[in-house]
Amino acid sequence: MSGVDDIPKSVAGLPNTSPRYIGQPVERLEDPALLTGRTQFIDDVVLPRMLHCAILRSPHAHARIVAVDTSEAAKLPGVVAVVTGEDAKRWSNPTMTVPPGWGTHCLATDKARFVGEPVAAVAAVSRYVAEDALELIGVEYESLPAVADARKALEPGSPLLFEEHGHNVMLQKVFTWGDVDAAFASAVHVVQQQFRWNRLGANPLETFGVVSEWDVVDGTLTCRGSFQAQNHFAMARAMVFNLPLNKVRFISHPHGGSFGGKGGARGTDITALLSRKAGGRPVKWIEDRMEYLAGGASQAWDRHYDAAIALDTNGKVTGFKVKLLDDLGATAEGWGAVSAAKPLTNFTGCYAIPAAQYDLTIVATNKLPGSPYRGMGPPPHNWVLEQLMDLAARKLAFDPAEIRRRNFIPPEAFPYTIASGNEYDSGDYRAALETALEMADYPALRAEQLRLRSEGRYVGIGLVNTIEPGVFDWNAYAIVGQPGTGVPEGATVAIDLFGKLTIKVGFALEGQGQYTVAAQVLADYFAVDIADVRVVALDTLSAPPHFGPGGSRLGVALTGAVLGAAQRLTEKLIAVAAVLFQTTPEHVELRNGMIGVKGMPEAQMPFQQVAQTMLARSDLLPPGIDPNPESTFVWTAPGRTPADDQGRAKSYLTAANACHIVLVEVDIETAQVHIKKYWIADDCGTRLNPANVEGQTQGGVAQGVGAALLEEAVYDEDAQLRTSTFMDYLLPTIYEVPMTEKRALCTPSPFTPLGAKGCGEGAMHTTPAAILCAINDALAPLGVALFEVPASPQRIWTLLQGAAPR
Amino acid sequence: MTTTRRIGMTVNGERHEAEVEVRTTLVDFLRGTLGLTGTHVGCEHGVCGACTVLWNGKAVRSCIMLAVQADGAEVKTVEGLADGATLHPIQQAFLEKHGLQCGFCTPGFMMSIHELLTRTSAPTDDEIVDTLGGHICRCTGYQAIVEAVHLAVEKMRASK
Repeated sequence: MSGVDDIPKSVAGLPNTSPRYIGQPVERLEDPALLTGRTQFIDDVVLPRMLHCAILRSPHAHARIVAVDTSEAAKLPGVVAVVTGEDAKRWSNPTMTVPPGWGTHCLATDKARFVGEPVAAVAAVSRYVAEDALELIGVEYESLPAVADARKALEPGSPLLFEEHGHNVMLQKVFTWGDVDAAFASAVHVVQQQFRWNRLGANPLETFGVVSEWDVVDGTLTCRGSFQAQNHFAMARAMVFNLPLNKVRFISHPHGGSFGGKGGARGTDITALLSRKAGGRPVKWIEDRMEYLAGGASQAWDRHYDAAIALDTNGKVTGFKVKLLDDLGATAEGWGAVSAAKPLTNFTGCYAIPAAQYDLTIVATNKLPGSPYRGMGPPPHNWVLEQLMDLAARKLAFDPAEIRRRNFIPPEAFPYTIASGNEYDSGDYRAALETALEMADYPALRAEQLRLRSEGRYVGIGLVNTIEPGVFDWNAYAIVGQPGTGVPEGATVAIDLFGKLTIKVGFALEGQGQYTVAAQVLADYFAVDIADVRVVALDTLSAPPHFGPGGSRLGVALTGAVLGAAQRLTEKLIAVAAVLFQTTPEHVELRNGMIGVKGMPEAQMPFQQVAQTMLARSDLLPPGIDPNPESTFVWTAPGRTPADDQGRAKSYLTAANACHIVLVEVDIETAQVHIKKYWIADDCGTRLNPANVEGQTQGGVAQGVGAALLEEAVYDEDAQLRTSTFMDYLLPTIYEVPMTEKRALCTPSPFTPLGAKGCGEGAMHTTPAAILCAINDALAPLGVALFEVPASPQRIWTLLQGAAPR
Repeated sequence: MTTTRRIGMTVNGERHEAEVEVRTTLVDFLRGTLGLTGTHVGCEHGVCGACTVLWNGKAVRSCIMLAVQADGAEVKTVEGLADGATLHPIQQAFLEKHGLQCGFCTPGFMMSIHELLTRTSAPTDDEIVDTLGGHICRCTGYQAIVEAVHLAVEKMRASK
């Protein structure tokens, strides 16, 4: 039987001499339903006797819960069930966390640890009635001192999130790779800087939603919802409710974006408890935007950095040290700690830096638990490294492009193992840089900058290169306590009686166009029209092992799964066709959609005909032959290794790279930043659907603009949230996002199906660093620089007050 | 608290009458009472634009408008854009230009663009930006949406 090594690493390896779809900007199969409003998002689901949930949340950042009185709420006509922390304690376990031991129940039991933490919930005949009922619930709180600042949370005497630990430190470890002390001791130059990245987060336009149904007779739980990784959430619920995994069924619906955090564990658990208490009636909860901003998966990357690079006389970086204090918020329930681990996969960026150190502390505070967000940790890390490169360039009087040229991993060095242990598959970083410089007409751009400066205008150029680690692996997160190596993704390919193809997968639409990519790949494999391929999603109990989108992996993993399944199906077809052709299987092949005898062009029949024979002419089949024209393949990245004691592993399979150049102007009267021009040279190997890739890139630029200039979840010193609407938490609009000029480069991955690399996190890895470096380039004549994100007008204005007189 | 009122409105050319609680928002009425779930709720406070529908030809946020305010009105939603199996030129342009990813914000964008292109067949770049500026898309970074608007303008001009 064929396996992962048989999957073609280029389009030329397909059994089709004229593929029509792979590499083309194919229109998306998912779009007609989306454009006509027919796609069924979770809030569109209506089930018989369905109830609606509303959740009462803590207004305090830290408070003991003395009493909860739900008697009046329960009496309100239309209310069917009410749950509190007592129900959660009786019927569920605290959620599992990474690192372990820092989790709570879905409803606060003894105390509330952050503003927005669920305290009680109601199921009623409408959301309106459920929200009325919340006003009738009485909660007696005893306010406790709160800690909002990670540095203060480390001090003795700080309020404790979990008293049983005796401190707020979730994880503290120093990872050392190579002789970093020697590198700094012998350095000719050292550049050191502190950085502050403030909290921001995913904010998909659709918030999380779920409909849970607890069958109280047969003890099963069915949850429909916008789950990014349905099996992951199903597994966690089985653990929370002490249920066998096969009694938990998750059905993921198409969702309106995710960017890392879609899943809503607490809301799922709360609706499950309400359904159980309501005798099994389905209970729907749709998170509203304020709930999302205060209590959802809306915040990530709350970081204090102190970092340095060591350089020799030639500007070659010999060592890189990062000390990170990562504020994960009230619990570790949201997998946010993984974001502190992922920088190991691209720690030293595009550069050949032999020694590095990561001094990592993850601390708990009374803020919302951190969640994943697109990029999953490296975007702030990349900013730190790229800004240090710029500072070094200024110190050594190099152009920012030149210092990067001197440090790139050369193209002939691949596959290349970086100091922190991951292996980069391929790339040509110099080519990306030179392409971007040419696109921007860099010398002219610098001349223009000088000219504008002479007119008293402060324009800056940002030029950065980054790696986008693709095809995530659990082993990358071993240092924060995540078990496992390998992330299986399965697909089933079936041919029906009428000769059409169906691909069955374990994930719902999310926006990246994955169903279209799967159909492109299969249509080219069997040389059929793409309209003959349909892609359907299965639930957790019927799909093959799966994870779904995440960590820039699905395009690669799904291509592997579809091609692997197609190859296994072809073997079945060949076995049957060999009987029909009165020969043996080794003489039969698939070629351009026909199953035929090798070397005999006329001895062939359409592959569909072989499948039809299997399904409808058992009289022609020999005994013992498999009559099912359907095959499944579960792809997982080959060659992954478990992490060693310093966290080193072959983890993410691919390393895409990009160079961004941006021109910004800082208006020193209003302290606003205007992005004037933006160029991107991007290499993610084979582009399966270039329009999809461009969309991912441009979408990443937009989120990068938000990160650099606008987005910040603000808490006051009492840990009270100040940004609970889109009037306070600012998302980028068309007024802020630049229309970019993009050029594609291609160094195919030598390791992946068709040579594709992960590209889903797009420009989020690069854009924040590019813009922030550009702002500091603009401010350089004033003798000031900003090392805090976002670069809001208020921050820049404050900085300008201390600037050199103009 | 639960005062009700009988209202009537024409939605996508079809007349509807219903008894509604006066506190019911227009978007909840369209989605919940009429089952027109193509209009989406993104923020429920009038910022993101996902819930945009046409109210007597004008693009409005149906999440911050009450159903009773639309009593007697002509309302158009995304379900009213296509002509049977034929996509509206705006929908077709979004399809061809990859002007959407998750598609959640898209109905709202298309209704505002529909209002713009009903008002003028030759919008300026500034008019296009100002129309899209009232909407948030978290996926696309807007570039493909701008391209889709230009293509829709061409398509609508050609069909006249």
